[in-house]
Amino acid sequence: MSRLHRPVLAAVAALAALAAAGCTAGPIGASTPLSSGQSFVGSSYESTVFRPGSRPEAPGVSGTTVTGSRLSLASYRGDVVVLNFWGSWCAPCRDEAPALGTLSGKLAPEGVRFVGVDIRDEPDSALAFMSTFRISYPSISDPGDLIALQFRATDPPSAIPSTIIIDRSGRIAARIIGPVSYRTLRTLLTPIVAEHA
Amino acid sequence: MTTADPDARIEGPQRTDPQYARPALAPPPAAPGTEDAFADTVDPAAERPGGGGPAGPRLGVTGWLRWLWRQLTSMRTALILLFLLALASVPGSVLPQEGIDPAAVSQYYAAHPGLAPILDKLSLFSVFAAPWFAAVYLLLFASLAGCVLPRTIRLAGSARQKPPRAPRNLARLPFSASMSSAEAPADALRSAERLLRSRRFRVQTGDGWVSAEKGYLREVGNLLFHIALLALLFSVAMGGIFGYKANRLLVVGQSFANTPTDLDVFHPGRLVGPASLQPFEISLQNFRARYVTSGPQLDQPITYQAPLSYRSSPGAPLRHYVLSVNHPLVVDSVSVYLIGHGYAPEFTITDGTGHVRWQGPVPFIPVDQTSLTSEGVIKVPDARPAQLGFAGVFLPTAVDVHGQLQSAFPAALFPRVSLVAYAGNLGENGPQAQSVYDLDTRQMHQLPVPPKPLAPGQSVRLPDGYGTLKFTGYTQWASLAITYDPGQLPALISGIVALAGLILSFLVRRRRVFVRAEPAADGRAEVVLGGLARSDAAGGFEAEFTELTARFNELHAGSRVPSTVLPQQERSEQ
Repeated sequence: MSRLHRPVLAAVAALAALAAAGCTAGPIGASTPLSSGQSFVGSSYESTVFRPGSRPEAPGVSGTTVTGSRLSLASYRGDVVVLNFWGSWCAPCRDEAPALGTLSGKLAPEGVRFVGVDIRDEPDSALAFMSTFRISYPSISDPGDLIALQFRATDPPSAIPSTIIIDRSGRIAARIIGPVSYRTLRTLLTPIVAEHA
Repeated sequence: MTTADPDARIEGPQRTDPQYARPALAPPPAAPGTEDAFADTVDPAAERPGGGGPAGPRLGVTGWLRWLWRQLTSMRTALILLFLLALASVPGSVLPQEGIDPAAVSQYYAAHPGLAPILDKLSLFSVFAAPWFAAVYLLLFASLAGCVLPRTIRLAGSARQKPPRAPRNLARLPFSASMSSAEAPADALRSAERLLRSRRFRVQTGDGWVSAEKGYLREVGNLLFHIALLALLFSVAMGGIFGYKANRLLVVGQSFANTPTDLDVFHPGRLVGPASLQPFEISLQNFRARYVTSGPQLDQPITYQAPLSYRSSPGAPLRHYVLSVNHPLVVDSVSVYLIGHGYAPEFTITDGTGHVRWQGPVPFIPVDQTSLTSEGVIKVPDARPAQLGFAGVFLPTAVDVHGQLQSAFPAALFPRVSLVAYAGNLGENGPQAQSVYDLDTRQMHQLPVPPKPLAPGQSVRLPDGYGTLKFTGYTQWASLAITYDPGQLPALISGIVALAGLILSFLVRRRRVFVRAEPAADGRAEVVLGGLARSDAAGGFEAEFTELTARFNELHAGSRVPSTVLPQQERSEQ
C-alpha cells in the first residue's frame, strides 16, 4: 500500500477538495436569484393531540391587535383558547376562515375564545380579510412572527396556517398544521371543552 | 522496486518482513538476510495465494464476503469512489439545484418540459440528497474506514517495535562505508549508538551490531491524512443531518424570526425540526447600494450594505450589524448572508366601496440584474365588488427608447411603475397554496387602464367602479440566505490536518542505519556502516548517510578515510 501511496495521495487530496467543494454550496454573490414563494402547506393537514397529563405549558402570548388594542392570553385563563396563525396573503387561510368564523360564534357560550395571530401582513389587508369573512374575534398583529418563536420550546407552528388549542389551565392541548375544517376543529375541541380547569 | 504496476506491491514472500506485517504476533527472525533489512509494509492477507481471486474452489460465503470486503477497502476502490464522488458533484454545479435556487429549477422545467421530469427522477435537481450520491459517499466512507483502522492498529504496533537486527553483510546494502577505528569494537559501537541516538534514531543493539531507524512520522502523516479524510466526510455528513438552509426576503423596515413559518424557503437537514432552529430575530433597517455612474463599468455595483438590528433570542439585547456581500452576520452559529436585493414599490389600493384594502410595499423581483428592471404582482383578495390583481414592472431609472420604456440605471433616479390591472377571481379560494409572486388570471379580466407609467404620488382610477390604485413611493428589500452547518468548522480542521499529514508523509523518509564492528588484527575495530531508505524520492538520504559516516569517522580519529559505496540499486521510485 505504501509505495503506491505517494503518486496517488496527491490525486486523492485534489479529489477530496473537489468533492468537499461540491458538497458545501455556500452563498455566492449578490446576483443570486432570490427565494420564490411562501412556505405554507396545501390541503393536507396534520394534527397533534396531547393527553391531559403530557401537555406543555403555553407561553405567555400578548400583543397589539390589528385594530390597535392590547391583548394578553393570560386574561383568558379558565377558557379554552383557539390560537390561529394566519395571513391575508395565504390562500389556505382563506379556505379555513369561514369554519373558524362560524365556530368562534357557536362555541363562545361554552367558554371557547378564538384569537388570531396575523403574521407577515399589513394592517389594512388584515382588516380587509376579517371583514370579508366576518371574523369578529381579535387578531394580534405580528408582522415579525415573534409569537411563533415563543412556541419554539413546546411545539412551534411549522406552516401557515397553524392552529394551537390551549386548555383551560393554559397548557397546549392540540396543534393543527394546515387549514382546519369545521368538523376537525369541532371534534378536537369537544373533549377539551368538557374538561374543567 | 522500479515497477510501475500498482498491484505489484509485493515482490514475493521473501521480501516480506514479518516484523512489519504482523508486528504483534511474529518475533523478529533470528538471522535475517540483507533482503529482509527493509521490506515494504505488506498486508499479509493480500498476498495469500488464491486469497485475492474469486476463482478459488473453496471460496464459501465467508470467503466471498472477505473477498468483497478486501476489494472495497483496497486503495483502488477508494480512488474509484473518490473519482465517482467528484464526478457525481458535477451535475450539481451544471444543473440548477432545488436546495440552492428553486426558482431556477422551475425555470428549467419550463424550458425543458420533456427532459426535466426525467432528470428529476434521477435526483439531478438535488444531487447532494440523491440516493446514488449517498451510496457513493457511504461506500467511500466504509472503504476508508476499512483501510484506515487496520493501518492504525498496525502503526501502533510498529511504533512500539524496535529496529530489526543488523544484516550480516552491510556492504550489500544500498549505502555502505567501512573504516577502521582506533577503539575497541565495543567502544566503537557505543559511540555509534550515542551518535545515532543524538540524531533521534530509534536504536537497538546486539552482539557486535547497532541497528537504528528513523522517520516513523511518515506513516503517522499518511494515517493522519486518511483519518482526516474520514473526518472530513463525517463533518460534511453532520452538516447535512443537523444543518439547514433557508432564504428570506426582507423589506426595509420589516423584521422576521428564524422559525419555519417565517422563512420563504426552508431546507432542513434530516434531523432538524422546527424546535431546533436558533430563535433569533432580524429586522432590516435600511439598504444602501452604490453603483458606478460613468465609464465602461457603468451600472456595476460598488457596494451593497444592509444595516440590520437583531436579537439572538427573544428578550436578548438588541444588536446592530451592517451586512454586506461576503460579510455574513453570525448569530448563534448561524450565518446570515446577503444574497440579493431589489425594489419594493408601495401602493395604496382602495376598492369600489371606498375602503383601503391594501397599503404597503410589494417586493418586485429583478428580471434584469444590471438595470434592476423588476416585475411584481399585487393581489387584493378582499376588494369589492371583485378581487383585484395587478401585474407590474418597476423601472428604477425609466427612459424612453424608441417608444419602449426601459430602465437605464439600477439606482432609483427616475422611478416609474407600469401596471396591468385585472378584476375577477384570484383563484385563491381553495385549500391549495399559491405563490405571492404569481398572478393567476384565468378567472379574471383585464381592465382598460391607460398604459401611462406612474410616478411616485400618482394614482390611477380603475374603470367600472373597481376602485383606485396609488403608487405612493418605493423602498428596497434584501434577500438573506440563512445557513447553519455544524460540520463547517470540523471540515476545515480536517482539511488542514489532511494537508499537514500529506506534507508530513511527503517530506519524511523512513530510513535505517546499521553499524557492525569486528575486531581487526591490531586490536582495533573494523567498522562497517550500512544504510538504506525507503521511498527516497525527495533524495537526501545519501547526503545524510555521508554526513553520518564523516561524523562517525571524526569520532574515531586516526581511522582511515571511509569508502562510501554508492547505491548498487536504484531505490528511487519516480
